[in-house]
Amino acid sequence: MDEFEEILQDFLVESFELIEQLDQDLVELETRPDDLDLLNRIFRVAHTIKGASSFLNFDTLTHLTHHMENILNLARHGDIIIDAGVMDVILESIDLMKALLVRIRDTRSDNGLDVSACVVRLDAAVNGDAPVVAAAPEPVAATAALADEEEADYSGMSDAEVEAEIERLLAQKNAEAIAKRAGSAPVVEKNEEEADYSGMSDAEVEAEIERLLAEKNAEAIAKRANKQSEDTVAEIPAAAPAAVVVPTPEPTTQVAPVAKPAAAPAAPRRAEPKEDADAKGATVEQTIRVDVKRLDHLMNLIGELVLGKNRLIKINDDVEERYEGEAFLEELNQVVSIVSLVTTDLQIAVMKTRMLPIGKVFNKFPRMIRDLSRELNKKIELDIAGEDTELDKSIVEEIGDPLVHIIRNSCDHGIETGDVRLAAGKEEGGTIQLKAYHEGNHIVIQIIDDGKGLDTDMLKSKAIEKGLITEKEADGMTDKEAYGLIFRPGFSTAAQVTSVSGRGVGMDVVKTNIEKLNGMIDIDSELGRGTSMKLKIPLTLAIIQALLVGVQEEYYAIPLASVLETVRISKDEIYTVENRSVMRLRDEVLSLVHIGDIFEVERVFDNSEHAYVVVLGLAESKIGLIVDTLIGQEEIVIKSLGEYLKGIEGIAGATIRGDGGVTLIVDVAALMQMAKSVKSTVGDENSSGKKLGVKNNASDYCVMIVDDSKTDRTIMRKSLEPMGITLVEAVDGIEAMNILKQGDHFFDAMLIDIEMPRMDGYTLAGEIKKYNKYKNLPLIAVTSRAGKADRMRGVESGMVEYITKPYSFDYLMNVVKRNIKFNEGL
Amino acid sequence: MSNQLQQVINKQNNALIGDESKIDDVVQLVGFIVGEEEFAIPILSIQEIIKPISCTRVPQTPTYILGVFNLRGSVIPLIDLRARFGLTPQKHTDETRFIVMKSGDDVAGFVIDRLTEAIRMPKKDIGPAPETVSEAETMIDGVGKQSDRIVTILKVHKLLERNF
Repeated sequence: MDEFEEILQDFLVESFELIEQLDQDLVELETRPDDLDLLNRIFRVAHTIKGASSFLNFDTLTHLTHHMENILNLARHGDIIIDAGVMDVILESIDLMKALLVRIRDTRSDNGLDVSACVVRLDAAVNGDAPVVAAAPEPVAATAALADEEEADYSGMSDAEVEAEIERLLAQKNAEAIAKRAGSAPVVEKNEEEADYSGMSDAEVEAEIERLLAEKNAEAIAKRANKQSEDTVAEIPAAAPAAVVVPTPEPTTQVAPVAKPAAAPAAPRRAEPKEDADAKGATVEQTIRVDVKRLDHLMNLIGELVLGKNRLIKINDDVEERYEGEAFLEELNQVVSIVSLVTTDLQIAVMKTRMLPIGKVFNKFPRMIRDLSRELNKKIELDIAGEDTELDKSIVEEIGDPLVHIIRNSCDHGIETGDVRLAAGKEEGGTIQLKAYHEGNHIVIQIIDDGKGLDTDMLKSKAIEKGLITEKEADGMTDKEAYGLIFRPGFSTAAQVTSVSGRGVGMDVVKTNIEKLNGMIDIDSELGRGTSMKLKIPLTLAIIQALLVGVQEEYYAIPLASVLETVRISKDEIYTVENRSVMRLRDEVLSLVHIGDIFEVERVFDNSEHAYVVVLGLAESKIGLIVDTLIGQEEIVIKSLGEYLKGIEGIAGATIRGDGGVTLIVDVAALMQMAKSVKSTVGDENSSGKKLGVKNNASDYCVMIVDDSKTDRTIMRKSLEPMGITLVEAVDGIEAMNILKQGDHFFDAMLIDIEMPRMDGYTLAGEIKKYNKYKNLPLIAVTSRAGKADRMRGVESGMVEYITKPYSFDYLMNVVKRNIKFNEGL
Repeated sequence: MSNQLQQVINKQNNALIGDESKIDDVVQLVGFIVGEEEFAIPILSIQEIIKPISCTRVPQTPTYILGVFNLRGSVIPLIDLRARFGLTPQKHTDETRFIVMKSGDDVAGFVIDRLTEAIRMPKKDIGPAPETVSEAETMIDGVGKQSDRIVTILKVHKLLERNF
């Protein structure tokens, strides 16, 4: 059954792809009803699906598509005119076909949907609008289909078989021609059956057949002599045209979607089947279907590689610093930059494999607009541009729903009815433009309508009416903020709920989905002129650019897509309004929140006069996030926190940094929500900050001695003991770091030897200075290295004093006293 | 001949069955100390045991969740068992270890005070959890008795269950 399942999968994938295209084609068809190419394309879809479904024994689907094919075939030959009425029936049947396919996908069977009503309508359309001979349609479709089925088999045949098939057709023609010339009854019928040739006049057909006969006769006879079976095949149609069914070659097990199944199986095409097969072979080579899971896996691996690259770059920087000027550095540099370059290229290449044109989403809108405009009784035209713009598959999947809601909204609320438009001096028909284009690392999707525009006063009064905002809030709102009201859940301007809109759900969905994609929404509107909605969405989700910020000694990554700008402000620029911190940014008032308040970071110290504000923008809202430091921009790979920690508010995931540590990624949407309920502490941190530094007696002072020699440690201890301060000893850099990290003591100074095993003094100083907490901790080098270069390195790594051994007890004590401000506090 | 063969096969089968039942009878555990008590978990639920490495605090979590750490590219939560069991926190020592446990797809690291040993314990020596703790809530799978001590055997899937 596996094989069947495989075929079924292929069938479904293909059918859904075909249908996507179909909708657009059909709407186009309505405007250009005599476009033969278009008709052929549509016919082919119905036909392909019919062929495959009959093979897979989906009888209901076959039945339906058969009748669709029927009507389309007539249209193709100009026997009926496709008007709105016929189109409605066709669209209805296509919807039904979709429903059946969905059913097959879900249940593996097409039972349970009633198609008979639709079939009756289809037939009615055929009979009512097409005054053809009443009996004609059925046999026409049947034979055409049969012939086509035979065609379908070509692609599965070897060249030799194709040749044989041609032979057979010729033979058939031959017999027919003879019969025709004899003027017998079957000829008339046959002629109708072969409606596909009807592009030609009878005379032309005759001439053509004659020509072919002349050309092929000798050969055919020779062949027929060899192949007795072929002969019978040829004989039967002549005798009983209705029985063509029987000699149809056994369908090969593969469902062969033929490139041109709809085209007539007429003699003039005798060379074509072969060409078709060739052409098909060539195109098949160019694309392969790949399971999305494999691409996802590939993307994950690339993610790992990017992390590895980041680490490598960091190590390279460290090595560069330490071994400056050494010859091997250049080589290392080269290798690192090549690896980093290739990784970036590889990442882009893999990302591209996941890219789909946004047209896949746009395709369904022409149909939607058509339906809506009929339903709402408005004339609306859709103008699509940039459907080739590509973006990540996962985003394409997410973007569909929001666009549906926005477009429905534009149709229902934006575009006015024809007479209102005329009264306003506009054209009767409204236009909705749907545009997609790239802008940096983003894709922008713009939906512009030329409708009545958003009325801010009306929006505000509606929002007050629904209790979403207070009147006071409404008064302080800018136009943009007022536009933002349409995204509030429960907000609706519609006087009554219609089938199209009015429930106050749609735009809320838009906002949530766009936020999920880290996208932004920008609304512009002019009363009476129309509304433009701009969705700005990052190209991909798995690997993103992030801004790394620090608060105390914690780091957080903020998706760069949501960062509008960063500003450095002094603390007095922060004002408090109704318990909330705000600042003035150019001509806007920006509300502020401290990242430490959101993530419960303990504020141990705070001594700078300045703060950095990261201005975050998401969907239509903005907020300023106060951070202690800005680290920089880095490419990060989003990893989940796992089942155990999922759903932590404000955290979107984690990433692994160049140093192997884990950094959390801020969920900007959630952060904005949290900011509303967080109590501001921006103002009162100074008062609490000072208490920690209070020293009541000498033993409150604490100094660490780091030296690998026991003797040296004892000497230092002896020199400092008289002060009565607390002394802690460590034998090397690593131990010193561990003691610091444990946080049992608050050190006021550290005495550090330079030459130590495991971690030397310079490295230790560098490590300590990485922590914000210890930025102001005095580090005093105590060493026998007296060279100028050593002193320089000491200063570079953050040491404030440099004492060379040997030294006097008093000297050491004085240096320490000075650095820890001993006695000043007592 | 075929009889002999049959006998040999039967004998082997019996031996195999015997082996299996023997294996079934013994549970392999890894013992560790948290606070004053010795605990144990099935050896198969341990992914690895590592020395302490740095971790990143995660906000809005209970205090026993120390944060997340990087285990060769995976981000894994770290849980302090002392705090989880309501004991006072203690600084990491040389003997502190992270035990990375897994149950299905759930993985987490647990901080323990020190490892004791791998224990092979016959099933009959394992008693049920004390009745005073309710069946659904308890993290205790059973109590293993050894000649000189008792070991509390923990339910790994319960430890890995999020309860906040």
